[in-house]
Amino acid sequence: MQTENQILEQVRRVLVELFEIDPTRIQPQARLYDDLDIDSLDAIDLILELKELTGRKVQPEQFKHVRTVGDVVAAVGNLLRDENAA
Amino acid sequence: MSVAFDRAWRVCATGFCFAMFGIGGTFLSLTLFPLLRVTAGSRARAQPVIRSALRQAFRLFVGLMRTLGLLTYEVRGRERLLPGGQLIVANHPTLIDVVFLLSLVPDATCVVKRGLWHNPFLRGPVAWAGYIPNSDSEALIRDCSATLRAGHSLVMFPEGSRTVADQPMQLKRGAAQIAIASAAPVLPVVIACEPLTLTKANPWYRVPLRRPHFIIAVGAPLAASLLLEGGPPSIAARHLTQHLAALFARGVQVQGQPVPLPVTNAPGVESPSL
Repeated sequence: MQTENQILEQVRRVLVELFEIDPTRIQPQARLYDDLDIDSLDAIDLILELKELTGRKVQPEQFKHVRTVGDVVAAVGNLLRDENAA
Repeated sequence: MSVAFDRAWRVCATGFCFAMFGIGGTFLSLTLFPLLRVTAGSRARAQPVIRSALRQAFRLFVGLMRTLGLLTYEVRGRERLLPGGQLIVANHPTLIDVVFLLSLVPDATCVVKRGLWHNPFLRGPVAWAGYIPNSDSEALIRDCSATLRAGHSLVMFPEGSRTVADQPMQLKRGAAQIAIASAAPVLPVVIACEPLTLTKANPWYRVPLRRPHFIIAVGAPLAASLLLEGGPPSIAARHLTQHLAALFARGVQVQGQPVPLPVTNAPGVESPSL
């Protein structure tokens, strides 16, 4: 079972790999659109990559309210927990 | 004295042209475009004809502005504008950039501000021509790529709105995303205007001290390697956008002559000549 910090690290790696964002700016309170310049097309690429990461099918609706890096981490955590619970 | 007269004349002529643009657009939407639609039989068949008619109208309008002494202009690299699904990306210093481009590019559609559909004078022409409303969504990328693959050219301004003086250009990634998704040839166009007019900062009646000269410089198609980088498309789009920003800042090399970007002009200040 992954800790929140481990998930944050993985999310950070994905964001750097997909969007060339400076890793020091990827903090839980960083807003995806306003702070990290991740637009709606990028969000789709991100969701696909998280699908790879979690090995789990991701519904775009689960990410509808995701605004910050912290939200992404929480959403990924939920996905992994669901997987374990199944 | 004659400078003052020339300026006063250009204020009147500018107002006249604004009126002609609005009235002309409305007139075409009520007469010629419906006629073309009916004779074509279907919207799909009508649209290229309507766009062609609109292109001629824009040509006439540019000619009108020149005849009235409002501006002079030159086009460089025009031979690069070919029919068949090119993505034209240009910087956006003035209000009439799109008029110039749409008068030049054959069979072109345009991504325009969503708000134009609520403008009483412009919503007719944009709807009849089938221009594409701007949005931050993958639907835009999809529609634009489809348009390019169908062989229609697309005019886009990555800045989204007119350049703000004294600030580095802010380019949105939509044009780059469309370029990568569609793999269409990308032609950068640098639009320079000296002295600047019809910018975001100045109201229309604040005409420059002397008659502006426009240069529309069409660059060579971007190398395919810029579109097919091999990494994630999200990174390719960022690199391509950065490349375009640098290109606009440097000016496009057309026939060996760089076209510098317009310098700012505060009212009453003479700008250095190009």
